[in-house]
Amino acid sequence: MGAAGLTLDLALAGLAVGSAAALSGVGLVVTYRATGVLNLAQGAQAMATAYLLRELVVVHHWPLALAAVCCLLVAAPALGVLLDLAVFRPLQRRGAGPAETMVAGIGVFVLLIGAAVLIWGTAPYGDAPPLVEGTALAQPGGHVLRLDTAVQLATVLVLATTVGLVSRYTRFGVRLRAVVDNRALAQLAGVDADRISSAGWAFGSFTAGLVGVLLAPFLLLDPYGLPLLVMETMAVAVAARLRSLPVAVVTGLALGVAQSELTRLRPAGQLLPLAQAVQTNLFVVALLVAALLPWSGGSDDTGLALPGGGRGGRGATAARTACTVLVLLPLGFHADDLRHALLVPALALVLLSVVVVTGYGGQVSLGQAGYAGLGALGTALLMSGKVPGLPALPAVPALLLAVAVTVPLGLLTGWPAIRRRGLALALVTFAVGTALSRLVFDQPYATTGLTVSRDGMPTGDRGFYTVELVLLGVGLLVVRNLHRGRLGRALTAMRDHQAGASAAGVDVPRLKLLVFMAGAGLAALGGGLMALGGQAFDPTAFDPVQGLLWFATVVVAGADSAAGAVLAAALLVGLDAGTAAGVSAVVVGALATVLGRMPGGLAGLARRAADRATVPARPGPGQEAALTPLGRRLRERIAERAP
Amino acid sequence: MELRGVRVRYGLLEALHGVDLACPAGRVTVLLGRNGSGRTTVLRTVAGVVRPSAGQVLWQGRETAGLDAYRRARAGLALVPAERGVFGSLTVAENLGLSEPGTVEPSFPELLPLLTRRAGTLSGGQQQMVALARALLARPRLLLLDEPGRGLAPAVVARLHELLFRVAAEGRTVVLAEQGLPPTLEAAAVVHVLRRGRIAFSGEPSELRGLVR
Amino acid sequence: MTAAGTPGAGLVARGVVRRFGGIAAVDGVDLDAPIGRITALIGPNGAGKSTLFDCLAGAARPDAGQVLLAGRDITRLPDHARARLGLLRTFQQIAAFQGLTVAENVRVGAEQVHRGTGRGLLGLPPPGRDTARAATERALRLLDLDAVRDWPADRLPTGALRLLELARALAATPRVLLLDEPAAGLDQAQTARLGTVLRALAAEGTALLLVEHDVELVARLADAVYVMAAGRVIARGPTASVLADPRVAAAWGAT
Repeated sequence: MGAAGLTLDLALAGLAVGSAAALSGVGLVVTYRATGVLNLAQGAQAMATAYLLRELVVVHHWPLALAAVCCLLVAAPALGVLLDLAVFRPLQRRGAGPAETMVAGIGVFVLLIGAAVLIWGTAPYGDAPPLVEGTALAQPGGHVLRLDTAVQLATVLVLATTVGLVSRYTRFGVRLRAVVDNRALAQLAGVDADRISSAGWAFGSFTAGLVGVLLAPFLLLDPYGLPLLVMETMAVAVAARLRSLPVAVVTGLALGVAQSELTRLRPAGQLLPLAQAVQTNLFVVALLVAALLPWSGGSDDTGLALPGGGRGGRGATAARTACTVLVLLPLGFHADDLRHALLVPALALVLLSVVVVTGYGGQVSLGQAGYAGLGALGTALLMSGKVPGLPALPAVPALLLAVAVTVPLGLLTGWPAIRRRGLALALVTFAVGTALSRLVFDQPYATTGLTVSRDGMPTGDRGFYTVELVLLGVGLLVVRNLHRGRLGRALTAMRDHQAGASAAGVDVPRLKLLVFMAGAGLAALGGGLMALGGQAFDPTAFDPVQGLLWFATVVVAGADSAAGAVLAAALLVGLDAGTAAGVSAVVVGALATVLGRMPGGLAGLARRAADRATVPARPGPGQEAALTPLGRRLRERIAERAP
Repeated sequence: MELRGVRVRYGLLEALHGVDLACPAGRVTVLLGRNGSGRTTVLRTVAGVVRPSAGQVLWQGRETAGLDAYRRARAGLALVPAERGVFGSLTVAENLGLSEPGTVEPSFPELLPLLTRRAGTLSGGQQQMVALARALLARPRLLLLDEPGRGLAPAVVARLHELLFRVAAEGRTVVLAEQGLPPTLEAAAVVHVLRRGRIAFSGEPSELRGLVR
Repeated sequence: MTAAGTPGAGLVARGVVRRFGGIAAVDGVDLDAPIGRITALIGPNGAGKSTLFDCLAGAARPDAGQVLLAGRDITRLPDHARARLGLLRTFQQIAAFQGLTVAENVRVGAEQVHRGTGRGLLGLPPPGRDTARAATERALRLLDLDAVRDWPADRLPTGALRLLELARALAATPRVLLLDEPAAGLDQAQTARLGTVLRALAAEGTALLLVEHDVELVARLADAVYVMAAGRVIARGPTASVLADPRVAAAWGAT
């Protein structure tokens, strides 16, 4: 077979993945246009549908057709409508900004993954049923066109065309476009925009399910892999600027084919592993490129103005005391429990990095896991003597040097943050985190032959934990300095009103770089400690999905609360050690989805409770006025019951 | 239609500090006020685009709180905003079809040759006509117009005002928000003058003339 | 010391143009806001006043033309750098920092003249701390915000928030002050106080440029008026004569 023949075969093979990616892009674009929400949970919805289909067919022996109809046409759209009603519509009613909507989306993502882990466990299944058999359909000129590929391709084209035709020529389509054009005006013209949104969610969820069901047979079905793969296909929707269906379809197919064709590229020598890494992760590279290209998307967002940020306040002392007690407690633990607790200070440092970037600076960062991974990998490389020109270093110098090297790398996300806000920034930081994970941490060229030990520092767990506490203390000191005095005021000003801060003379670009660099340093310190605690470099610990979970955790705990981050770290580690896997994700995810009703997160709740407790009770009519609506109803009810 | 003690906040800013006003059915009412006086906010509050932080909006004697904008629209309320009153990416026919498919109000024959054009490509005045035509096609019982004459030729404005009086004569309520009171609107039943989010004057146009002179 | 009203000693715009997708929102505007004087900018909605303001303050870059501060070309400087040179502004949509107290809001304005980020990270006091404190106190007293100094900014009513923004600008000891509808949302007493403060500032040698819809306030305060319509200055000159101009009344759409 000639080179041209091989090219054709590879293209045909690439169309399978390409059409799934295109489908995913179509779903994201349609949902975004109908609802204004970039559905970050799409990957998790795809995974959940794929699991459900497998459950029905493999475990309960339903006929494939019936199960497919149930999953795709009933369960998936119902999930979409449920998400709209329970999570996103309340946010929109309250006039919540894109930041809160995004956190809710991440919450759904984390919640679904946690639920899947709870129900089906983390062991991968290799028997996800294919919807269509992979039999050869035709062999024109000896090139095999498989039936499943043909059906997938046809599905994408038919769906995209149908969506195009419906929105062009039907009354529903006109209303949909009216809502997209100007939601408020459409409402004034008597269009029920909420119903249009629900339809958008149902359709988006259906395509997500279809993507999941189509992709699952190609890989092992586990709770993390498929969602992340689908999230990587966000590249397609981002390239289409969340608007154009044809661009989404063409980009999806082109990336699929290109990925397939790249397998032929075999550069000699040292470049080979890098080329292979790029080839298997072409969608990640595409996401990074698409997110970094200039784009107006989200540029008019209000940043991440998460409400409820107060500085200091009454609950703070109590929270700080609780933190101190909690992190000192493990020193008295048994050896086994102490081993689990080793993770707490390290994780607390990583979460603190999110507090600095998101809570103090108001910048979305979904990529902190990447910086934590760099800290861990750097420590491991330096300790193993893998860095040219440097001997193998003992633990502490290796850790500190790794942190020092990671700090300037904070510019990777800090630089794009100068011109980007909200959604656009979230996508860039997620892309950077994913690219680091896929192109560096997962690759043998970076991670083979690493040895991590506690050489040169207390080797026992108790001694090591003490060292961790000292470093956590240093980290907290930096965090405190970022929140106090002139610097703290300038950061809060930037978070609350960027244009106002700038007009008052605050050098906003410089401050953004500063928070991202400080965040990178803190995350790297935490990541390095994780590696030293486990005495190994574990790439799965710095998976992008972890980054999402950590981001959601911090926002749920109260984005600008350092004490909240430390408590959250203890809680996450405690839940993971003490309960079934997945419980922590379910808890965090569920809390994130109700964040709309809980401004300021758990810290905000605590702060308000403390405020109420310490406000002196005023006599007479003043007390009446202080009652919440619930309080008033209760009082009325009590009055009714009274004889 | 009636407002009682209505207050509206936009984030930190309070735009209306307790507004009381009534617009009689079957008549034309004019809200006068400079930019930032709150006249647009009054219309947006009545239409359900913004929710009052205090006070009541009564329509046909019923409290409207909690009624979504689209439900008010379906119940016979139409608002023509001062800006962005058309769906720019939709054709003129589609814009008009959102209210009532098929027909075009004869008061704007200028629009007939433009039906297949995208509304966003029209001039400001033509867009304003599309917005007005769409509102009129819905045959609303309460018609709210925010500076409807903006961008229109004086002759068209006069024709529009004439038309609005005819609409009111059919028993419908018409409310216009304007910066100034043109002579063609002096037959209006009531004028309310807003200043800094409060009602500064309520009465007949003739009384207002007396005050100014 | 430059004498009040000296041309070019305050803020000067020369042929400023700013386009949005082919349409010139500001179309070749010349403007002079001399020190010791209150200059007002009026015009109907969409005339380009806010866009011009953004170009002057540095929030937007003009597509053509120059902006000069005390004779120095600042056209290419970002807004925070202009603020550090003494060109301060307030916003039409109030820009208060809700997470800070009233006093802290004002302090942010006072302490940006010096750098000190590195010292801040180490927990050391920033340079010029005492000067910043004194400026903060002065601005708080001047605008009568002393009594609410420890309130979180988000609990203030609208009028007080306007004054808070002004106080933040004053704390930076401005040479030129750009005020976008400073009287919107103020009650009578606050408007009167605002007038007194602005007059006093001008007398001290500050150049003031204000966008304002309240013609009475403009007539009472301003020394000179510029009228904008459709991106151009259509009339300029001493307040009384400009406001009496029938062309102005036509463009303004006033009753």
